[in-house]
Amino acid sequence: MLKADHVAGGAFVVLGLVVFALSGELPFGTLSQPGAGMMPKLAAGLMMAFAVVLMATARDGEPFSAIDWRDGGHAALVVAIAAAAAALYTTLGFILTMSLLVFALLVVVERKHPLPAALYAVALTLAAYWLFGKALKAPVPRGLLGF
Amino acid sequence: METTLDSLLLGFSVAFRPDVLWYAFLGCLVGTLVGMLPGIGPLAGISILLPITFGLDATKAIVMLAGIYYGSQYGGSTTSILLRIPGEAASVMTCIDGNAMARKGRAGPALCIAAVGSFIAGTFGVIMLTVIAPPLAVVALRFGPPEYTALLVLGLIFLAYMSTGSLVRTLLMAALGLLFGTVGIDVMTGHFRYSFDIPELGDGLGIVPVAVGLFGLGEILATPSRQVAGPVHRPRLRELWPSRQEWRQARMPIARGSLLGFLIGIIPGSAHIISSFLSYAVERRVSAHPEEFGKGAVAGVAGPESANNAASTGAFVPMLALGIPTGPVTAVLIAALLIHGIPPGPTLVADHPNVFWGFVASMYVGNLMLLALNLPLVGLFVNLLRIPYAYLYPLIIMFCVIGVYEVNHSIVDVWIMLIMGVVGYALKKFKFDPAPLVLGLVIAPIFEMSLRQSLIMSDGGWLIFVQRPIALALLVVSAALLALSALSFLSARRDWRARLAEEAADS
Repeated sequence: MLKADHVAGGAFVVLGLVVFALSGELPFGTLSQPGAGMMPKLAAGLMMAFAVVLMATARDGEPFSAIDWRDGGHAALVVAIAAAAAALYTTLGFILTMSLLVFALLVVVERKHPLPAALYAVALTLAAYWLFGKALKAPVPRGLLGF
Repeated sequence: METTLDSLLLGFSVAFRPDVLWYAFLGCLVGTLVGMLPGIGPLAGISILLPITFGLDATKAIVMLAGIYYGSQYGGSTTSILLRIPGEAASVMTCIDGNAMARKGRAGPALCIAAVGSFIAGTFGVIMLTVIAPPLAVVALRFGPPEYTALLVLGLIFLAYMSTGSLVRTLLMAALGLLFGTVGIDVMTGHFRYSFDIPELGDGLGIVPVAVGLFGLGEILATPSRQVAGPVHRPRLRELWPSRQEWRQARMPIARGSLLGFLIGIIPGSAHIISSFLSYAVERRVSAHPEEFGKGAVAGVAGPESANNAASTGAFVPMLALGIPTGPVTAVLIAALLIHGIPPGPTLVADHPNVFWGFVASMYVGNLMLLALNLPLVGLFVNLLRIPYAYLYPLIIMFCVIGVYEVNHSIVDVWIMLIMGVVGYALKKFKFDPAPLVLGLVIAPIFEMSLRQSLIMSDGGWLIFVQRPIALALLVVSAALLALSALSFLSARRDWRARLAEEAADS
């Protein structure tokens, strides 16, 4: 039966192989004079070795099918909305982006009524803007609209 | 001793300045809230609020951020006792007997014992910090690159040995962290490593986006709002005072927890978490009535709560005296000091006495503030737990984005945070603890630099690590610990770490 540790270990082995493939041009150096590639290759090698041990000892572990992925939809939506906010942050500026971020999380993910969600999003963003932009004088992104 | 007292007086003259007092109070207040709220631990709290300290001087910044750290240890107990949800990881053990006491109508005394235990342990930890850190810094002045290399090796081995999870998983996470720590320009040769022509990656992966992603966003992704508990009991002030018997039962566990917590705090790993697990195990072992544990034993609250506070203070010893982080939280605090141009380590006490002693003195004051905040005002704080989580987590995500962006004004950092959030979510699903990853990330550049400097010093000879007594002693201890860990792994024996992990899972 496929165990969770088989999948996790396999993923780390693949990551290690990718690191080795990307490290082609980095000189390994010698033991007495390590090059720029030694530390990352050693770390990747160690990671792969521990991943293999993890897979080898996975027999008594939890089956992969037992992992509860029911919160995956929630997680994917939150990541997608946060990614959209990151993409728009410097273009739209602080107030618009953060208002939209909070509004989208409340309406799309939490299925809240749009009107209270909008009021909450704007009030929260303005309070954060006052705190960071005015009280703490942190340079927050202004965006195309100038705020 | 006289010099220490004089220096401490200097520290109090700094700590009692109204502006420093205000930031200590603010840190303690935010720490209490951060500790209480599920889904946001001290690491995410400190990382998110790090940009707020940019406009402050170094003393106020470190006083406030440290207040968040030790304040969160106080606040974590409230949610554990009243809701059986650990506000942060170190409060897991308090859930068991704290909530059992609450169900028996003794929520008030459980909160009071947790707060008083935290105060005594926190104050004990600061006294020990006052006594130990300055002489240790003097010894550390004799450390060169070989000693630092050996110390970092010992740190990583200790991390694996003390981990409550499996040795292989901990080492795997540490190796991944070391790998992440190599991203960016190699300062010795100028080679770009895994930066994919993104200029921001030339400086490496920042600890703040990685920590906020793994611990802040990752936690939120794995916590849909429907899973967060609703109604909560609000204790009244007159219900808080424990009975004489409860005080008697709490006395020795507080003393043992304080000592145990401090000792574990000064060694690497997620000390405040491990210390509470160990303290719970010790209390159950020494108790005349072990059968009461899990059903509302006072010692099950007093011991772990004292231990996690003492450990959070103990972690400041290697951070301030050696400049070495023992966990992800102290790594972020080191980053905060560096941002303000103050390098922590052996020279901190001599070069910046105001910062060092002001910080130490502020912790005495901070512990008093926390006692005042967590006892009479507990009813007020409990109201915060009534805010629906669905409205709370968008605020946390907003602060994650703002906090990460403001460190370097880099949108790349925000993307790193998002990726790390997904990584943190996946690691949680596969039961990996990301703390060793963050520690590996911080240690990697320091380790690589000191290793290569050592080899330059010795013309490429590795014998330098066994020719210098301090380095040799540190490596011998490392080898012994590694052998002990490997032995228990190979014999598939359930040692104390496995038993603690089971207890945590059962809770």
